Amino acid sequence: MDISVSVKQLTKKYKLYEDKWGPIKEVVTKKKLHKEFLALHDVSIDFPKGEAIGVLGKNGSGKSTLLKIITGIADPSSGTVDVNGTLVFLDVSSGIDPELSGYENIFMKGVLLGYSREQMLEKVDEIIEFSELGEFISQPVKNYSSGMRAKLGFAISVNVDPDILIVDEALAVGDSMFREKCMNKMNEFKEQGKTIIFVSHDKNAVENFCSKAAWINQGELIAFGDSKQIGSIYNEFMSGRKKLDEIKSSLEFIHSIENVSPEAGESGLSIGLEGYLYSSAPDFKGSYELVVKDTRTGEAIAKPLALSSYKGDSSLPDEKKDTSGFRISIDEQDFSGFLKPGKYSFLVRYKEEHKEGEFPLWAGNLDLNITEDMKSRYINKIKVENNTLALLVENVDKVQEQVNKIWFEEGTLNLEGVCFVRGYEVGSPEDAGVTLHVVNLESFKEEMYPVELRETDEITENPSFNPQGKNYNFAGFRAGISLDHLRPGRYEYRMTYQMKNKPGHELLIPVWASKRQEYPSEPFLWKDREIDIQTSTKYLRMTVK
Amino acid sequence: MFDIYKEMWQRRKMVHALSLHEIKREYAGTVLGSIWGLVNPLMRIAVYWFVFQIGSRAGKPVDGAPYIAWLAIGMVSWFFMNDGFRLSSRAFRGKRHIIKNTPFPIAILPAVQIMYSFYTHIILLVVILAVMAFSIDPSWFWLQVVYYDFAGLMLLLGLGAVTAPLVAISKDFGRFLDTVLIFLFWMTPILWNVDNAGRFDKIVKLNPFHYVVQGYRDSILFKSGFWEHPVYTLYFWIVVLILFALGNYMYKRMKPIFLDIM
Repeated sequence: MDISVSVKQLTKKYKLYEDKWGPIKEVVTKKKLHKEFLALHDVSIDFPKGEAIGVLGKNGSGKSTLLKIITGIADPSSGTVDVNGTLVFLDVSSGIDPELSGYENIFMKGVLLGYSREQMLEKVDEIIEFSELGEFISQPVKNYSSGMRAKLGFAISVNVDPDILIVDEALAVGDSMFREKCMNKMNEFKEQGKTIIFVSHDKNAVENFCSKAAWINQGELIAFGDSKQIGSIYNEFMSGRKKLDEIKSSLEFIHSIENVSPEAGESGLSIGLEGYLYSSAPDFKGSYELVVKDTRTGEAIAKPLALSSYKGDSSLPDEKKDTSGFRISIDEQDFSGFLKPGKYSFLVRYKEEHKEGEFPLWAGNLDLNITEDMKSRYINKIKVENNTLALLVENVDKVQEQVNKIWFEEGTLNLEGVCFVRGYEVGSPEDAGVTLHVVNLESFKEEMYPVELRETDEITENPSFNPQGKNYNFAGFRAGISLDHLRPGRYEYRMTYQMKNKPGHELLIPVWASKRQEYPSEPFLWKDREIDIQTSTKYLRMTVK
Repeated sequence: MFDIYKEMWQRRKMVHALSLHEIKREYAGTVLGSIWGLVNPLMRIAVYWFVFQIGSRAGKPVDGAPYIAWLAIGMVSWFFMNDGFRLSSRAFRGKRHIIKNTPFPIAILPAVQIMYSFYTHIILLVVILAVMAFSIDPSWFWLQVVYYDFAGLMLLLGLGAVTAPLVAISKDFGRFLDTVLIFLFWMTPILWNVDNAGRFDKIVKLNPFHYVVQGYRDSILFKSGFWEHPVYTLYFWIVVLILFALGNYMYKRMKPIFLDIM
């Protein structure tokens, strides 16, 4: 990999004095009277040749200081900068003299960049054309609008043909047409094997345009790597979803899913994952597990993740290639009953002697070409969401369900309501089998209770539910839950609806209960237990103390 | 030890091009353009001549040369010294909007300002000499002006290199230099003859500007060569050498500081 710009252990200190006599007093009294401000602290980045590299960071994070040091406008306090090739710094106003005309400025800037008058004469027509300034080119720049100035600045910078172009938020001005033109020009640059360093606080611009990115926060390089990966962690930080410490510790691990091969067969769903994973900490001696987690309830299964040699073409460091590949298969049959309608994420859990943690596997570079849904008992979809892999499990059909009434009676909790599937006729109680599950939300153990289907004309006679005039006479249900067995904990109610006739689907849903006034509002006391029905989320939950 | 001068020399084309831009910039927006570069000094020469010759009746011929010619030649060289010194000392501070966002060899900036003053000086010099040729016979000694122009350029380069970083760091120092220049204008024998200084003439002559101003008069009016006062010439060049070394040191030392604070 050729390096176009290399900075090593760059540190930049600014001295801040409280009064203007400070520097003089300091020399005279030899006391330290200034505060030191570290604009950059020990930053080392190699900018590879022929790529667009983004530098992300909020205002005042030190990214402009870094640019100034690379371009030679500022000197570093310590560290080295190595630049291979000619370099142009594109800033909205850089090197533009407001007194001179646009035309003269072209030459002026050309001179500053080290070109002779003759060389600039060859380029001047192209520059004027690109700048779209037309006859304004002979007007003094002080009469230009800010957009026109930016156009002139950009036109000069890109047309002098530098090896390295450094762009500092310059595209914020100018109309969208011109911005697009600039983007095209910069893409052309990339194709010619030139290096572009693109500074922005906008992650979208960096993700769209750059292949790699560096994130600088308060003068420190937090991460350097794939632009999408960096963009997503930057976004997590900027939106306040994650703290810097959390991000830093998750950055210890470099990982990516590169291939997904799902399969749905007789024995259920099976998902094969391939990719790489390693710790950038030199002395990491922990073990890894692959974790599949239900994002709603937190229920999870884990499988040990063994690492072997990696054969993909990603730019991993050579010394890591032997021990960073993984290939694992998650089979539904090994974890029966775990996959239910819901959403699942794929994480890695690491365990070391003193610490352990979890992070979602990165899937931002994954090129998913799975268009068909996989059918097992449910419909399974695999997607990339927020640069991570997600498995969506959905019922084949939709159960309409409502709890009309809940009441306590001696040692029993009674539920009464309706449930049916549109289009599936239930003329007798033998047409469907319904089961109620009470699931402990910590241990995920469940108790099942049979549900009695009862005759009701509530659905059949309701034209908004039944416009086709089908027979849903046995849409009512009633169930009783014995309170004697309940142990303290939080519980969730689910329901299985099994069609006994064709098409014979089995559907699993969380129990919906939105008729609040029909449910007990006070906790019920039974023996030494206190049972509280909760429906604030519209789903039926229960706490037992 | 003389790195920055080496850089100025290596980038002489850039220095030249930028100094021409300076001229354009200076007169951008005016109708008469660089004619103003002539009108202003000529007016000032006329005013001083009127005040001293007519007003105070002090302007007697100096060593046989008419006062107006003596004054004009002295003023021409002084304008060069004055402008070059004033502009080069502000070379960094005045261009900070460019320094702050354009990467280029900023060490050449004092030289740019000096060359800009030099080019305007050449125009004025040619005009004055052309006028003078009517009243004084030109001689080969007129060519010696080239030497004194060179000496003046070198002196300015040294002074510019020393003062420009200081002015960049401290605005107060810039104000101080303005005062020094007014002082120097009156203390350099431009409007008055150094012979009148009597026993102070040694002190007056320590001022290296006097070497250049007097050299101009020697060349145009008195047909006297610089080799005729070798000690003074040696003194002058030693001063220039010291300024060069000091200037190089100043730039190296101050550059990181003024880049940060400007």
